[in-house]
Formats: sequence, C-alpha cells, structure tokens
Amino acid sequence: MDLTLLTGYGFWNPLLWLAFLLIFGGISYFLWALRGNPAYKPGTEQVKPFISGNPEPAKDLVHIRARHIYWGFVEGLRGYYSFARKMHTGDVRDYALWYLGVGVVVLILLVGGI
Amino acid sequence: MGKLDSFKRALWVFHLATGSCNACDIEIVALLTPRYDVERFGIKLVGSPRHADVLLVTGCVVRPLADMVRRVYEQVPDPKAVIVVGNCGATGGTFYDSYNVAGPVNEIIPVDVYVPGCPPRPEAIIDAVVKAWMKLEKFEKELEKKHRGGEK
Repeated sequence: MDLTLLTGYGFWNPLLWLAFLLIFGGISYFLWALRGNPAYKPGTEQVKPFISGNPEPAKDLVHIRARHIYWGFVEGLRGYYSFARKMHTGDVRDYALWYLGVGVVVLILLVGGI
Repeated sequence: MGKLDSFKRALWVFHLATGSCNACDIEIVALLTPRYDVERFGIKLVGSPRHADVLLVTGCVVRPLADMVRRVYEQVPDPKAVIVVGNCGATGGTFYDSYNVAGPVNEIIPVDVYVPGCPPRPEAIIDAVVKAWMKLEKFEKELEKKHRGGEK
C-alpha cells in the first residue's frame, strides 16, 4: 500500500512524518534530560540565581511581562494614548452612544449623498 | 606540600571581597598576570559562586555583608573549599573587635585554608589554592566512596 501523497508541489508521507517526529522528539527529550547541573541540591541556595549575594526577589517583582516590550512605543505615543484612553470609560452605555453616533454620521454620509 | 593525585579538571575559584582594603585583591589579580599565570595550572577565576569549586575570601566581613557571605557560600556546589586570604579575614586584623565587623570569616562560614599576610605574597596564595585542591580531591574520594557504599 502506497501511503505517499503526490501533489504538484511535492509529496507527503505519514510514515516519514512519524519518523521525523520520533527523531526530533528524541533529540528534544535528550536536551531536556541534560538540563541543569545534577550536583546542585534542590531547594537550597545552590539552585537560586547569583545576584551578588543579595536574596532573590519575589518573582512577581522582577517578572518582565509582555507589555514591557511595548514600553517605548507607549511612551512615544503617550499623547495619543492619553487622549484615546479618555474615550475608553468601560461603561457600555458610552460605547453604545459612540456606536449610534458614528452610525448616524455614516448614514448621513452614505444615504444623504454628501 | 603534599602531592596532587590528579589534575582531573580545572579548579574554578570565586573571589569574594567582604570589606577588604583591596591589597589582597590586587595580589589575587597579580596571580592572573603573566608573571604568575595560574591559569596554566587550570586555576581560573569565575564570575559566579555557582560555577566555583573554591571560595577565595578577602576582608574582615563587615556587618552588612555577613548575610551575603553566608548566601554566596551556600551557592557554591559541593564539594567546596574556602580560602581566607589576608590577616583581616583570618583574625579581623586592623579591624579586630570593630563595631561594624561581623567577622573574622570563620565566624560566618567554615574555613579550610588560611593565608596570613598583609597582604600575602602571590606564591602563598597559590600554595593555599593547591592545599584546597588536595582537600577537595579528598572530599571527592570520600563522596565517591560514600556513593559506592550507598549503591550496594
């Protein structure tokens, strides 16, 4: 039984795909199993980072979050954001009013033929 | 001096200054210069205690650093050895009994080798490192023996 699927762009074979999965899975497991130094005693200072002898701060105090990546972007566009933020009140009624207002303007533009 | 059984691997040393006047530190730096060049023996200064076999301590341990010294000692993986370089770390030296001194070093962490001097000569520091190396080899053999005994 031929499992190879031939297309105009190449071929696909599930057995080959499984073989690749096994090989790369094996390599990944090997690298994962090698992680760290087994000589370090878990649960002691030996497994904590060296910060010039200072105690390790709580994770939530030093965690770099995704939003920190955009710090420069947000800082550069602060003028725009501070203006746009005023519109985002969190009140659904305000959003409905914006929807209606913008809808009316669009209708006037389209139906009114301006 | 005894005999080293083997040079199985390089000996990595972490230098910890605990309030020294820098004289001992300069002598330690001199070990890395072409005149003494300890790296040819595989003795290398490293930037983290987590990579070190030996802790090289200088200074009398000023009070604010006592906890840091303890923490750094705990971060060195086993087996480990501690060398105190200079009189200040060994006895308190000029700063003995000062209100701001928590040391000498052996009151904070266990010490294996002392190098007296103010500051000691680089040759004396090399001698101390070799003594620490022999002690580490002994520790390693004991650990291996213990490990083999545990497997039976």
